[in-house]
Amino acid sequence: MLRASRLVLAHFWVAFIAFLGAIFLGEWQMFIRSPLSTWINNPEHYYRSVTAHGTVMGYVMPTLIAMGFGYAITELALKRPLIGLRWAWSGFWLVLAGTAMAATTVALGKASVLYTFYPPMIASPFYYLGVVLVVVGSWVWVALMAINLLAWKRDNPGAPVPLAMYGNCAGAFLWAWTSIGAAVEILVLILPASLGWADTINAGLARVLFSWTLHAIVYFWLMPCYIAFYAIVPRAIGSRLYSDTMGRVAFALFLVFSMPIGIHHLFADPEVGAGFKFVHAAMTAMVSLPTLLTVFTIVASVEIVARLRGGKGLFGWVKALPWSNPMMLALVLSFVMLGLGGAGGLINMSYQMNETVHNTQWVTGHFHLIFGGAIVIMYFMIAYDLWPTLTRSGPLPTGQIKAQLWLWFIGMLVLTLPWHLVGLMGMPRRMAYYDYSDPALAGQAWTVTASTLGGLLVVASALLFVWVLARAGLSRNRGAVIPPPYTFSRTVHEGAQVPVALNGFGLWIAMMVALTVVNYGYPIAQLASLKQASVPIIPIGGR
Amino acid sequence: MADVPLWSWRNPWLRPSVVSLLILVVVTMGVGFVWLPAESHDFAGNGLWASICRAAGVPMAWDTAGSPVRTGSGTTTVVLERSMSAPGKSDAVGRGATLALNCTTCHGARGMSVSDAPNLAGQYPEVIIKQLRDFQGGQRASSIMQALAKGLSDANITDLAAYYAYLPKARNAPTTYADALPALVRVGAPMRNIAPCIACHGSIDQKLGAPWLEGMPKAYLVVQLTSFQSGARRNDSHAQMRNMARAMSAAEISGVADFYAGRGLQGATR
Repeated sequence: MLRASRLVLAHFWVAFIAFLGAIFLGEWQMFIRSPLSTWINNPEHYYRSVTAHGTVMGYVMPTLIAMGFGYAITELALKRPLIGLRWAWSGFWLVLAGTAMAATTVALGKASVLYTFYPPMIASPFYYLGVVLVVVGSWVWVALMAINLLAWKRDNPGAPVPLAMYGNCAGAFLWAWTSIGAAVEILVLILPASLGWADTINAGLARVLFSWTLHAIVYFWLMPCYIAFYAIVPRAIGSRLYSDTMGRVAFALFLVFSMPIGIHHLFADPEVGAGFKFVHAAMTAMVSLPTLLTVFTIVASVEIVARLRGGKGLFGWVKALPWSNPMMLALVLSFVMLGLGGAGGLINMSYQMNETVHNTQWVTGHFHLIFGGAIVIMYFMIAYDLWPTLTRSGPLPTGQIKAQLWLWFIGMLVLTLPWHLVGLMGMPRRMAYYDYSDPALAGQAWTVTASTLGGLLVVASALLFVWVLARAGLSRNRGAVIPPPYTFSRTVHEGAQVPVALNGFGLWIAMMVALTVVNYGYPIAQLASLKQASVPIIPIGGR
Repeated sequence: MADVPLWSWRNPWLRPSVVSLLILVVVTMGVGFVWLPAESHDFAGNGLWASICRAAGVPMAWDTAGSPVRTGSGTTTVVLERSMSAPGKSDAVGRGATLALNCTTCHGARGMSVSDAPNLAGQYPEVIIKQLRDFQGGQRASSIMQALAKGLSDANITDLAAYYAYLPKARNAPTTYADALPALVRVGAPMRNIAPCIACHGSIDQKLGAPWLEGMPKAYLVVQLTSFQSGARRNDSHAQMRNMARAMSAAEISGVADFYAGRGLQGATR
């Protein structure tokens, strides 16, 4: 029934092919920094690779997953064809063109500024224009999600919006608002310098604007994963969702709190006042609320099926969970990584404790564990879950899927836990080489070797993932096996009324914008009006 | 659910949400802007309003007496601007060539020194501008150069910089990442905080104000590095070179100077 199958598949294939390329770059970076290899002589090659890895993994892959999954949800949850299919394809081609443009510029060594841009470093304008195209393509998706939601609501007055669509739109609106920071940074500050119209840049203001995007982008990455927790996992393991309202509250809270807290990325930046740093730190703690709500609701949801399968006792039901189901396995692995990464995140967000780990390998470990681990493992499951419907290739091999998930989990832990440890020892991140022959560093060398081996497992897992999808997608059965109709999770109490506030986004978007004005208004106005706040630009790949 | 509209104070979701968000904002702002600053003398010394401003990030004057900060006579007062690095127009190059006739005795007819004075051919323009201004102001010491620079106007300096930048660079010590190059040149010494020479000094990458070094006479390089090391030369902004040279041994200074002088290759290529 999915009219947009080709559209969704196109998004997923580009996302996963780019992902596969970027993961090889990541492993190469680990290898050449480890004692297994000699020092890389040209550190620029390393930064080029880091820029490509970050740009693909941070902008291209999750944006395409959110877009493709969003289009699929729109048709499957609203049970009607997507409005604006042609526009959706134009958004896809914009993302593709932007990716190609940015990737070529990076490959030529004209943009080794890392995906976080870091002015006053300035790259070739084609890099930034490429990123802008990716973002503009994603804005087409945002607009289509809003249009489809409104059209459905108009035709179904008073009916509750399906939870999957509610979460999907929460993610879209969050992205629309949060991408403005980096967009303004690029268009107003960076591009004029990159095009040669300015030779100085207000780096402090640029960093504050980027922090507007930098934290909430993580929640944009996370949204598909949370939608999967609520709308796919209970159905896939034969259970029901414990509470639909709790899911809506979690999405609403993400909308309100995940964006106006980004200054916790700037704890070491002197241009931002200590008062705002504290406020952002305190409000970052609020983001743990929707995550804790989600963990509670999903654990309650899986407990239902365990008890139905005869599970008894306070914890004895855990044994009765459907462990042979890949979705069950993925959920548990994802929660374990979310728990470990979340605990580390509490240290990053604390104004004082952050000082001990700021800009060390700890931070790299943290976001690889949360994003690469907890979130991306659910991206895999989203793809596996949708694949039979998208390709009509029949069920996927569960044995291979489980092996792939275990490889990813073990690989991620072996990759990131040594990073956390060596970060505590003080190893800085973003270094092209370390002098392991120095007695002060010799003791840390094994951790980098361990991470390299963990990375190898992750690469093997990614290959297996793409292999499973490709085999199904290219098999002779393709298009032959009509799958059962795709459904999302049903709730325990079906037909319950949804409060008007949780059936739309008006209140939450108003609160998000108001909180942004309070938390970002003054720092941005102050830095923008400050005299002598600009520093000379440093062109990368010039002279 | 349709009974109470969303935008009504009676809506059971709107009121508690807005009120609790307001309370959260007021409490966190109270702690961040009033309570915590009050615990620190740095913040609270000048009263409540000043401490709130400080916590908000308003720039403060540290020196309340109002006297300008003295940076010491030794270091540079030149502010490098990217516009200084733009290639000069042909008339500036022409005027510079005429003025440069004064410099040929030591710096060579076409900017390639045959004595141990530095080569100027192909030097980045902002480097010439900065050094001449530092000689003028006494921030860089040289009995000959200080006397000669005194008579130069700003326009003269820009013209000279345009002329020397126009001449072809010496390329007798090509910087690559080949293992044959001294480690300090290629990769520095991270554990001693010595950045690689090639990160700033051209060919691979160049930072504003860092001179082109290929082909420089060894004796000149050794003297400069040892004077940076001892602090006798201090016109490097933010002590960039003093911090590099301080950690270098005499053998290392000699090694990198040997390399950049292109020992055995001098004069082979232009």
